[in-house]
Amino acid sequence: MRPLLFALLSLAFGATAGAQDFSVNSEARSWNLAFETPARFEARVVDILCELTGDCAENCGDGRRQLGLLRSVDDVLVFPNKNAQPAFTGAVAELLPYCGALVEVDGLMIEDEYVGAFNIYLVQRIRGLDEVEWTTANRWTRDWAEANPDAAGDGPWFRRDPRVLQEIGTDGYFGLGLERDAAIIGALFP
Amino acid sequence: MRIFTGLASLAIALASLPGAADAQTAGQRINVRGEIIDTWCYFSGVMGGPDAVVGSAHHTCAIWCSAGGIPVGLLAEDGTVYMVLRIEGSDESAGGGTQMRLASHVIEVDGMHYERDGLNYLIVSDVVVDDDIQVFSHDDFGVVPGFAVPEDAR
Repeated sequence: MRPLLFALLSLAFGATAGAQDFSVNSEARSWNLAFETPARFEARVVDILCELTGDCAENCGDGRRQLGLLRSVDDVLVFPNKNAQPAFTGAVAELLPYCGALVEVDGLMIEDEYVGAFNIYLVQRIRGLDEVEWTTANRWTRDWAEANPDAAGDGPWFRRDPRVLQEIGTDGYFGLGLERDAAIIGALFP
Repeated sequence: MRIFTGLASLAIALASLPGAADAQTAGQRINVRGEIIDTWCYFSGVMGGPDAVVGSAHHTCAIWCSAGGIPVGLLAEDGTVYMVLRIEGSDESAGGGTQMRLASHVIEVDGMHYERDGLNYLIVSDVVVDDDIQVFSHDDFGVVPGFAVPEDAR
């Protein structure tokens, strides 16, 4: 009787953990976003497509797929959209080394009902539960540089990325074709 | 016994709340039309309000974010954002070429819709219509962010 009661109480309190304050002990740096909240929690790194549909890939898709954080305390699927770099970079490269593993993350949670943002996350640092040291979530640009040695040079990666340059070279900065692009730029920057 | 029954009822009721559901959720077939957007800029407000981070004004930024592995979404005409996990044969939802080429385009798709913990997810089986860019937001916002058009291109 007592173990069963304990299990039921655990289930009850576990299911209400959504009200937990995940900002406790967070050292996340503010990005001055209107709807950011510091959030530090434990989670399992999952392939979101696999988690939702059962369509799974080896090693969480090897970087092709978006990865999620299945929060341990309440089983909520958190979606890390962003890593710690202010450089238009996502979070998959930071999470992939921990595919399937339990981790602790620290960063910013974005919740804004007006635009439908729930459990959107910016990861700033990560460590496996068996690790002492944190790893800053800033490896994306290093990985990009290693994968694009011919694009080496000055300036941020997004000014030199071959795929980005090809897209802009084809349809322009506004995506409306080169002729219209030139007219818009001429009007905006006379 | 009455206490036990009450606790059991409470546990069952709480277990049925969102977040305590089974890992895999049932999907529903969907046909939906909307713009392929950069979800981080849209959700976070880092570049301004939601109207400023869609369409032509934000096109270059949308390409950067897509190439950088930020998840893309489909912003439906009713305002719902669907996180896109697969487009036709491609599961490259992190930096894939298919999603990058569709940045800012208004498309109509058939696929499967899933919901989990407040977010909507979309598995696109077919891009039925691709109407290219239809939101000419540069008329109101110019270019977002301002440095998207570099000095040497002005």
